[in-house]
Amino acid sequence: MLSNMESMPLPQRPDDPLSALAAADRARDRLATSLRLPSGLFPVLAVAIASQMGAAAYGVAAQTTTGLAVALAGAAAFLGVAALVVVRFRRINGVRVDGLASTIILGTGTLSTLVYLGAFVAATWAAFESRWWLVVTAAAVGGAGYSLGAWRWWRAYRRDPVERAGGASPRVLALLAVAALVGFAVLVVGS
Amino acid sequence: MPELDQLIHAPARLQAMTILSAVSEAEFATLRTALEVSDSVLSKHISALADAGYVRVRKGVLAGRRTTWITLTSTGRKALRDHVAALRRLIDLVD
Repeated sequence: MLSNMESMPLPQRPDDPLSALAAADRARDRLATSLRLPSGLFPVLAVAIASQMGAAAYGVAAQTTTGLAVALAGAAAFLGVAALVVVRFRRINGVRVDGLASTIILGTGTLSTLVYLGAFVAATWAAFESRWWLVVTAAAVGGAGYSLGAWRWWRAYRRDPVERAGGASPRVLALLAVAALVGFAVLVVGS
Repeated sequence: MPELDQLIHAPARLQAMTILSAVSEAEFATLRTALEVSDSVLSKHISALADAGYVRVRKGVLAGRRTTWITLTSTGRKALRDHVAALRRLIDLVD
């Protein structure tokens, strides 16, 4: 069968390449639209981010060993949720999409990054001022905004999977790693 | 006449590579279902593409069972892009 295919003449009529391309595009689009996210991903992501942000804001403001422990617990909980989402996505769909991990989970999308940074600054300021209701509000807004950014990415991926399947570049990942290390160092030094 | 890549020309191979371009990695069974072909047919196509360096194959585990995962390589991505561009030029030429 393989040798038969390989010996087939190349398409010479205009409808052959056209139908070959159309069939390939249809197959790709069918797969992209058939992919399913783990149920409740966006609410779970919003809660995980809000918890991590609130815990980190408390840790930065408290500058104590307990604060450090709370911040680390928040980060660990979020990383646990993130890992679970990635594993479940692979299990449900039988595919891996790096863009999902880096944009949805690590928040490398523009909206998620901006919302996260803005809300984190607000939550940290509120924690220093001991305005705990504002810490909770900022963290909740941050979680919801981050989740909205993830939802927008998912919609964009389904429209154009080829452009968005790839994950963040090594440079962006390195920047995130540096930011995480700096944050951790600040917490350790301050506690 | 635009140059077509004979290795990707077979419809099932063009579709397989196009599907792989939309994900980072796909399980063999997922690809087989998407292409609606048998295990042996897909296996032959994947072997030919792997021999050309267009895809990479690795063994893994999913939900406790052994699986085969397939990735489009950068060489394969470029070959697919060139082949699709050649097909489009061919269409334009005839139009």
